[in-house]
Amino acid sequence: MIRDITIGQYYPINSPIHHMDARVKLMITFLFILTLFFVNTFTGYIFVVLCMAAVIKTSKVPLKFMLKGIKGLLIIILFTAFINVFMTRGEHILFEWGIFTVTIEGILMAIKMCVRIILLVIGSSILTLTTTPIQLTDGIEYLLKPFKKIGVPAHEIAMMMTIALRFIPTLLDETDKIMKAQQARGADFDSGNLLQRAKSLIPILVPLFISAFRRADELAMAMEARCYHGDENRTRMNVMVLKSSDYKAVILLAVYCIALISLRFAATQLPFLW
Amino acid sequence: MSIKINHLTHVYNPDTIFEKIALHDINIEIEKGEFVGLIGHTGSGKSTLIQHLNGTISPTAGEIILDGENIHKDKAKLKEVRQRIGLAFQYPEHQLFEMTVYKDVAFGPTNMKLSAEEIDKRVKEALQMVGLSESVYEKSPFELSGGQKRRVAIAGVLAMNPEVLILDEPTAGLDPKGRDEILYAIQQLHKERGITIILVSHSMEDVAKLVDRLIVMEKGKVAMMGTPKEVFAHVKELEKIGLAAPQISYVLTALREKGYILPEDIYTVGEAVKALYTLLKGEAKYDS
Amino acid sequence: MEMIKAENLSYEYIKVIETEKGTKQEKILALNHVNLTIEKGSFVAVLGHNGSGKSTFAKHINALVRPTEGVLWVNGYDTQKEELLWDVRQSAGMVFQNPDNQLVATVVEEDIAFGPENMGVPSEEIRKRVDESLSAVGMLEYKEHTPSKLSGGQKQRIAIAGVLAMKPECIVFDEPTAMLDPVGRKDVMDTILRLNREEGMTIVLITHYMDEAVRAEKVFVIDDGNMVLEGTPKEVFPQVETLKSYGLDVPQVTETAYELKKMGIPIAEDILTIEEMVGAICQLKSTI
Repeated sequence: MIRDITIGQYYPINSPIHHMDARVKLMITFLFILTLFFVNTFTGYIFVVLCMAAVIKTSKVPLKFMLKGIKGLLIIILFTAFINVFMTRGEHILFEWGIFTVTIEGILMAIKMCVRIILLVIGSSILTLTTTPIQLTDGIEYLLKPFKKIGVPAHEIAMMMTIALRFIPTLLDETDKIMKAQQARGADFDSGNLLQRAKSLIPILVPLFISAFRRADELAMAMEARCYHGDENRTRMNVMVLKSSDYKAVILLAVYCIALISLRFAATQLPFLW
Repeated sequence: MSIKINHLTHVYNPDTIFEKIALHDINIEIEKGEFVGLIGHTGSGKSTLIQHLNGTISPTAGEIILDGENIHKDKAKLKEVRQRIGLAFQYPEHQLFEMTVYKDVAFGPTNMKLSAEEIDKRVKEALQMVGLSESVYEKSPFELSGGQKRRVAIAGVLAMNPEVLILDEPTAGLDPKGRDEILYAIQQLHKERGITIILVSHSMEDVAKLVDRLIVMEKGKVAMMGTPKEVFAHVKELEKIGLAAPQISYVLTALREKGYILPEDIYTVGEAVKALYTLLKGEAKYDS
Repeated sequence: MEMIKAENLSYEYIKVIETEKGTKQEKILALNHVNLTIEKGSFVAVLGHNGSGKSTFAKHINALVRPTEGVLWVNGYDTQKEELLWDVRQSAGMVFQNPDNQLVATVVEEDIAFGPENMGVPSEEIRKRVDESLSAVGMLEYKEHTPSKLSGGQKQRIAIAGVLAMKPECIVFDEPTAMLDPVGRKDVMDTILRLNREEGMTIVLITHYMDEAVRAEKVFVIDDGNMVLEGTPKEVFPQVETLKSYGLDVPQVTETAYELKKMGIPIAEDILTIEEMVGAICQLKSTI
């Protein structure tokens, strides 16, 4: 069960989106998420969904993979829907039941909020599915560089992410092994009350932490031995270069933003667009 | 008590692209009080096999019979099976977690809900069996040397009074001194307690001296089975599987190929010295 | 030309020991006035049991630890001098025991690039070095694999390639095969030998496996921080009793020859390999 967790899952396939520069993809994703909070009409959402469908099609990643991310968030989505349906006040009351009032406004709000969350999740999934973890960390490091002056440790953050990604499978394996070994000594992780269960984790957590510290210690030494001394005078094997497709993507993004702004403006003039 | 493995097969990730047959139709019988060596290189299926015996993995097909009962049949009884067939994983010292050696060894018996006196008795017995004196009882297990840590970890399994003890690579990563300490403790256990031992290893030189019987595994199947003498007589086949016989058996095989008359079943230094001495001093004939 | 030269090298540290009367500090002399010279292009082995000080010595060569007394020169650079740190580490690379804990990146080629990137090598040159280093260890086809899916021996070869990409003149191996199975051990040893013979790389191999040390040109034995034996394998290994007293093994053939000699057989003492042993027996047999 513990091995099923995949972090930063990458879908290896050739597509124009996969070939794009990670920095551009990161920026586009970031702006895209911002625009989601700007959209407030249904026409706007339809437009965003259509644009996203086009991007998914271009990325060649099966829709099934995209939707996987949503499955895990189903509870949050349902909860958001619930809150919005019952908590939004409005004029068009559908029915009342005790303290709960359901209004048309509430239902519309719930739909909008859920679509927003789903779009947000899919938007960021497209990023991780089409970008390898290394490209991603490199991109983050590059984009954070301007903030170094105000004390953001850009290189260190990226290095930590790389090491975390490298060691997650190793530590998951280790957890699995420790669990089996303690089970062989009669440990029981599945019964008892909450307190007993929490207590039964100690025989797993203590060895796991000790092992993680030992690994960290050895890794630090190995990195030093390979001349690691932060990002001072550090070069990279893969230099990120912007290609024409990246520029095209940026232009498309600009068109998308202009379209959204126009839609929002139009909505104030033409109320039927809600 | 005997363990009978019947047509055991295990497939990892069945029906996916990651499908891997780890064990294929394994049939082994282990008698009470036997000392068995299980040999094979990484990926030969030996780790999967021993985890089945301990009930931490369930078979895809086939069964394991312990005293006439299929151990995987009743999930509720698995805990009892794990107590009867003790398993010390590779690098068992990585599983130590208590503040003191004594408490760590007591973890198993405590889980079995035994009385305080019984726990105390078992902990002391187990530590004594692996050759650790009372002076370490209250020490932190993390302060000990590599060989000592490993003995504490093995004592942790022994304290559950298993009828069978499985040890996965108990000497891996230890220096010659630590290795000899562990092997000596295991040998004593077998001798004095008559406990059934399954020793998993890839060091032929370690295993050869100790075990009654060797099981050689390759690609999820049993490739060879027999006494060390029988198995090491097949130096060439072992080579093919990627396993080496003890160094000295190569010398005797080479000499036999040159026509010298030497016994076929020599794999320890002591035996080789005797045989070569007889060859050089005695009346052994040169047969061209 | 000497690659490594130690003059009166000592390393002392303070260990905090918990006793019944609270904590106590104790000075531990991990290395005691060690003197040695390792020539460029040579292959030397450093032997000793765990805790003998051999690993501490290895870490000195990479300036991960610095002498508390005496001097250590690596490629002419004094390791005590802070400003020479990167020159020292670039001259002498280091491969550690646990292959898992020295790989940094999630893709093999990225990991190999780590060293050169730290040194500020231009990206085109890094690409070239990555391919060259991976070919040198026979792992080029795994360039885009992820290290966590590789076997222990393969990971260790990746670690070697990572050091090679820094173009050192010397590589220190700190028990590189202790955690590997026989196949992995053989692969790593073959790689080490090839680097020495074909690329003229100076090799310092810290180990307690005698079959590996036998292949070195020179052997140093460390015990409790003291350099106790030094010489060619032929000079060192026949001292069977002495080596055993330091908690070390002797190759089975050497021990057999030693025992035969004790029994009055006029056999050479400096037998280290199977071939030598077979040859010696044949010769003795024909002269009798």
